[in-house]
Amino acid sequence: MNNTSHKTYESKQFWLSLDNAAKIFPATLTSEVTTVFRISVVLKNPVKINPLMKAVENTEKRFPYFKMLLKKGFFWFYLEHVSLRLPVEVDNQLPCRKFLKNRPLGRILVIKNRISVEFSHILTDGTGGYEFFKTLLIEYSRNCGASIPEDFQYFRPGEEVSEEEYEDSYKRYFKQDIPPIIKKSKAFHIPFPLRPFPRFDLMNIIVSINTIKAKAKEKKVSITDYLVAVYLFILQEINEEMSGLSHLKKKKVIRIQVPVNLRNILTSQTMRNFSLFVMPDIDLRLGHYTFDEIIRRVYHQIRLETDKKLINKNISRNVGSERKIYVKSIPLFIKSLILKAKYYSLGTSQYSGVLTNLGKVNLPPETAEMCDHFSITAPPPNKMLKINCGVIGFDDKLVLSFGNITKSKEMEERIIQFLKGQGVEVTLEN
Amino acid sequence: MKTCNYCGVELENNMNFCPLCGEPVINKNSDSLEYIEVRKKEQEKSALTSYQKLTKMQKRKLFWQISGIILLSGIVVTFLIDFIGNQTISWSKYSIAVCTILFLNTTMISFWYHRLFLLFLGSFLTTSSLLVLLDLFNGSVDWGVKLGIPLLFAAYVIVFILIGMIKAARQHGLNIIAYCLLAAGLLSICTEGIISLQVMNKFQVEWSIIVMASVLPVAVLLLFIHHRLKKVTDLKRFFHI
Repeated sequence: MNNTSHKTYESKQFWLSLDNAAKIFPATLTSEVTTVFRISVVLKNPVKINPLMKAVENTEKRFPYFKMLLKKGFFWFYLEHVSLRLPVEVDNQLPCRKFLKNRPLGRILVIKNRISVEFSHILTDGTGGYEFFKTLLIEYSRNCGASIPEDFQYFRPGEEVSEEEYEDSYKRYFKQDIPPIIKKSKAFHIPFPLRPFPRFDLMNIIVSINTIKAKAKEKKVSITDYLVAVYLFILQEINEEMSGLSHLKKKKVIRIQVPVNLRNILTSQTMRNFSLFVMPDIDLRLGHYTFDEIIRRVYHQIRLETDKKLINKNISRNVGSERKIYVKSIPLFIKSLILKAKYYSLGTSQYSGVLTNLGKVNLPPETAEMCDHFSITAPPPNKMLKINCGVIGFDDKLVLSFGNITKSKEMEERIIQFLKGQGVEVTLEN
Repeated sequence: MKTCNYCGVELENNMNFCPLCGEPVINKNSDSLEYIEVRKKEQEKSALTSYQKLTKMQKRKLFWQISGIILLSGIVVTFLIDFIGNQTISWSKYSIAVCTILFLNTTMISFWYHRLFLLFLGSFLTTSSLLVLLDLFNGSVDWGVKLGIPLLFAAYVIVFILIGMIKAARQHGLNIIAYCLLAAGLLSICTEGIISLQVMNKFQVEWSIIVMASVLPVAVLLLFIHHRLKKVTDLKRFFHI
């Protein structure tokens, strides 16, 4: 699939085939499962609209590969560049709404002192969205009078756009003839009933980074390891407290999907999807796990699964199946049906929860001065997964953002109680 | 610095409208005529839109309730008049049957609006049963089963396919008119075919083929114009593998 036509991105009509991770998303799109994620910042003061509009204009020129429409081809979906501006809208509707047909797959949302960007996962992953947002905020602060250090690393407007930024990096690391991966068993899923439409609801929990870092350090693990362990521990509690009849039906393995930014492991500058995931788990058939046991398990599993060779194996499996000629030559509408079924059977059924940690936001001092806290909302969970969690840190504030489509907030409340019990102070975002 | 009253962002001093939400910027504290005017318009707007504020489902429910009341009272009234006047149920059975089937159909339209197949199936079954009922009231099952149900079936299938095609079309323009013309032509052929099968025991089409022959070139012409006007997609993109 060599579509070199995109090399001349300045020409208005370049197009891109979907990257390997994005290929499954269009097949699963519905008005509820939108595959749209959001990164937000709450500023200390109300947003100044004029500097923001100018910042959007400058920023979107630096990221031409984010101004794309999703189009249907005969065999695959593809992305087509448009000269339309990314819409800047009032943020007074549901978060992570689906993008309409023939509209760009990104938007900027503003209300009072909050700025958010939303991108479809078809276009990019959290890191890509974050880099766009970072440039936008730095440009905004510059328009408001802040000075940006010359040596500060970010995607500067006016720079030349490198070709590597819109490559499909999965393809670069594809190796042939690698043994297949053994399918994992089905995992436990939260039993809570779903909310009526529109189902998606958000809850942001703010904790102190220093406190939680100290807690993690006590156990000699990272913040992500610690949070994943808390997540697993709470799921174990929910599982153990289920009533008799559903107890018989329940699956005994609890597994959390933790996305990993591959740019940290393999060299790549791409701004499109380039992440995979590790799946730490606990098998309840072996008995009850204590929190400390879970932490040790999570720590080792994450280290083990982020091994470079294993990552390569995963990439080769994913890309390999896409390269098979019989897969390529199935018409799109049939392919979509198959992909949708696979998405649930090989994807969601294997994990009980998702925790994605974007890390700590790094901004120039004067830009950072304007911000209070950040949050990241993972794409709305599907009917099987029901709840997921996005984590991002800034200054001393770590925000855990829970997306939930069930009637119950039991999971979030249990996590808050657990953290409080560990001596971590928790506040809820208004 | 001014702040927008609706979305809370900070505006430049010289701005009269918020560039984000498009609302006019007005000093709320003043007793200016402008502010009073805007408030008045707002109140009128909020009064007008209480119906518009309903969700589509709520609107359909309202339609269902109103039509339900009308149809049920129709049933009761005709039954009473007939029963009191004739001491038995004679002509009112027709109105009762028709109203009941109508009510069932409005119920299905209201609640199965997005489940097209179910809606068509339910509607077809109830309407067919109405035809059979009407036949039964007349003493013998004849017309309804031999002609009514096949004709009804053909009409439902053609309209169902037509709606499916309209929904699947990416752009709605002349192509929709072309689809409708073709559907009408097809329906004529089915109608004449079914009638000829019943009356003469053989499939024979005469007038309907003329209808089809005249709508076909028009439809083809419309489709040609529609697809010619559409932005041409690069084939390499479309067929990339």
